[in-house]
Amino acid sequence: MAALPAHDLGSSANAFRNEVRAWLAEHWTEERRAAHRRLPFKLRGWDPEFSRLLARQGWIGLGWPREYGGQGRSASEQIAFVEEMTNAGAPCQAHNCGESIVAHALFAHGNAAQKDEWLSAIRRGERFFALGYSEPEAGSDLAALRTRAVRDGEDWIVNGQKLWSTGGDKAEYVWLAVRTDTEVKKHAGISVLMVNLRSPGITIRPSMALYGKTFSAVFYDNVRVPAKNMVGPVNGGWKVITDALAAERIMIGGSRMAVIQRSFDHLTEYVKNATVGGKALKSDPVVRDRIGALAADIEVARSFLMRNVALVEQGRVPLHEAAISKVFSSELQERLGQAALDILGTGGLLSEDAPGAPLGEMEQVLRHSIMGMIGGGTNEIQRTLIALRGLGLPR
Amino acid sequence: MQDKSAAAREGFSDADRQLLRDSVRDFLASRWPSTQAVELSGDTKAIAAIWRDLSAQGLTSLGADPAQGGLREIALVFEELGRASCPVPLLGAVSANLAGLLLEETRQGKATLAAAYGAFDGDPAAGRVERNLDGTLEGRIAFVEGAAGATHFLVFTDAPAGGAIVSAGAPGLSVTETPGLAVPAFSELSFRDTPASFTELEAAAIADIALVARITCAARALGAAQRAFELTVEHAKVRRQFGQYIGQFQAIQHKLADCLMNVEGTRLAIEHAADARDRGVSEWRVFGSAALAFAAPALRQVSIQTHRALGAIGYAEEHEAPRHFRRVHADLARFGGAPRARAELADFVLGTGV
Repeated sequence: MAALPAHDLGSSANAFRNEVRAWLAEHWTEERRAAHRRLPFKLRGWDPEFSRLLARQGWIGLGWPREYGGQGRSASEQIAFVEEMTNAGAPCQAHNCGESIVAHALFAHGNAAQKDEWLSAIRRGERFFALGYSEPEAGSDLAALRTRAVRDGEDWIVNGQKLWSTGGDKAEYVWLAVRTDTEVKKHAGISVLMVNLRSPGITIRPSMALYGKTFSAVFYDNVRVPAKNMVGPVNGGWKVITDALAAERIMIGGSRMAVIQRSFDHLTEYVKNATVGGKALKSDPVVRDRIGALAADIEVARSFLMRNVALVEQGRVPLHEAAISKVFSSELQERLGQAALDILGTGGLLSEDAPGAPLGEMEQVLRHSIMGMIGGGTNEIQRTLIALRGLGLPR
Repeated sequence: MQDKSAAAREGFSDADRQLLRDSVRDFLASRWPSTQAVELSGDTKAIAAIWRDLSAQGLTSLGADPAQGGLREIALVFEELGRASCPVPLLGAVSANLAGLLLEETRQGKATLAAAYGAFDGDPAAGRVERNLDGTLEGRIAFVEGAAGATHFLVFTDAPAGGAIVSAGAPGLSVTETPGLAVPAFSELSFRDTPASFTELEAAAIADIALVARITCAARALGAAQRAFELTVEHAKVRRQFGQYIGQFQAIQHKLADCLMNVEGTRLAIEHAADARDRGVSEWRVFGSAALAFAAPALRQVSIQTHRALGAIGYAEEHEAPRHFRRVHADLARFGGAPRARAELADFVLGTGV
């Protein structure tokens, strides 16, 4: 009896995994973990001090090319890293958006001065980002965004409203998609700005999301942004945005996969030891059938992830493959949460701080699964992408 | 074990496998065209003829020598057989080859062998055969494929564990066809004081041979499901209703996106299990159970959803889809099906239930 056997990531990733584990044992000590766990749930995961500790190790930007100060590590090594960080409950959200989305856009579309200044600040853990994409009238149809930027001398003047910005109440900068031309087709009039969230004219209104952390509405009222903070050409922002998405998806997939495996391991550990009505829970054939089905799905979700890793390492960009991975694993997380409620009964509703909770994390896993099915393009949008790009069905 | 297998595998790259796939596909396209596949499947002479041709290609010795192909290659060939709806009796030959009971006549394409897994089948109704003190066989085994034209049977027994070769005309052996969803039909074998040539085998080795057979049948179902799915995707690109291609409706697009997810998930899981076995990774059995537990509900969904997208056009038996529907469901319900595979996974992660 055991956790599911691991997929072999190869010798260099296995060696790097050991290095990361050893580092975590030294720097993410039980004492620090306990202190982090004592924080209210909504504050966990975002820890600038820990981000800078990783930065000193060169582990912000570990997958970046060496020419930008990264370690040039392979996708397999990055997956091993993400798994170890997730399994240790280490807080990596502060630097995540800058490291994965902003940096990849800068590699392709930033000018020399931007690369020089912004990449090194991100890599040192000194510049944290939130995303400014969605708006009240532009969710799945992101290109319909209306937040306006108008040129005024050496600045752009920004007016509008963004929604559902994770980390918007904590980050110092926002990676902001704006409309710079209203006369052309919607995709052709978009630009990207890096905006200091402490600028005058910005109002940030956090609200609580179902998974237990905040996301924010951000209002822009005549906000001045230096023109040098525009990434890519004026009206060339759509390509900047879509290029950055591809790189992001795989690492998000790696982290979701690690969460699913960890929760599944905790669930099976509980089932192995629990007694219900004088009988071992693990002898219940219905429970066993459910656990077996989840185990198979986890194996397949891992195979989808590993395929993405292999494609990236061959220098290809997984497109419908990344969408399949996202759809399958986010819906698997939902099934896992639902199965846990059936197996744990009412006790499964209790959260981790409730006295006597049989396994106080599964209800959060379930709440969190909704984000996976919505964020980064809903699963319905992903299925359309699979149909159009993966199968070549007509638009 | 790992070193030996790794060395043996050096001969097979992804490019080699693609060549193998292309050559089997081309061969079947010319010898077993989809327009005649159903008719030919009921003709034991046609099956014997293509069996001889397969032996000329060396495929009848699959499983005998790891250097000539492992489970990755076996699964690939069965995928192509499923795709072409070609019921050559290769499953029995592969099981015999893995057991080291290769008949020279089989390798040459002169004899055909049907395997009866009995106590190792995994289906509670599969029956079993015992060995009498004088070495003859006694008992009954159901769900045997390829019995109709078989010249020999490979019968697995559990007490003592071993494999017995029985001639089709042996005294005390009766073969009864049991028609159903599977085409060609399964047969039930009954043995009464039936003479056999017996070889003792480790029970664990037979269990592995049976697991290979399960994965192999899942690969065959994958080939059938994928073929029906491809036909459906092409159909959705040309069929017009309400003034547009049905592939433009999101109800169809999302259905087919889910099918692609199920087909690709099954392929990755089968390949991962097969690759682990061929590299001598002991956990290949767990990966195999996972592939089987996923494949059954996933490919059955593909089969159902492709029929729904094809509508009445695909419901006619002259269309290719029905034969694939039969193949997918027949192969995935075999050997205890998904419930058994899920139970095996539960055994692994939870320990046994008692």
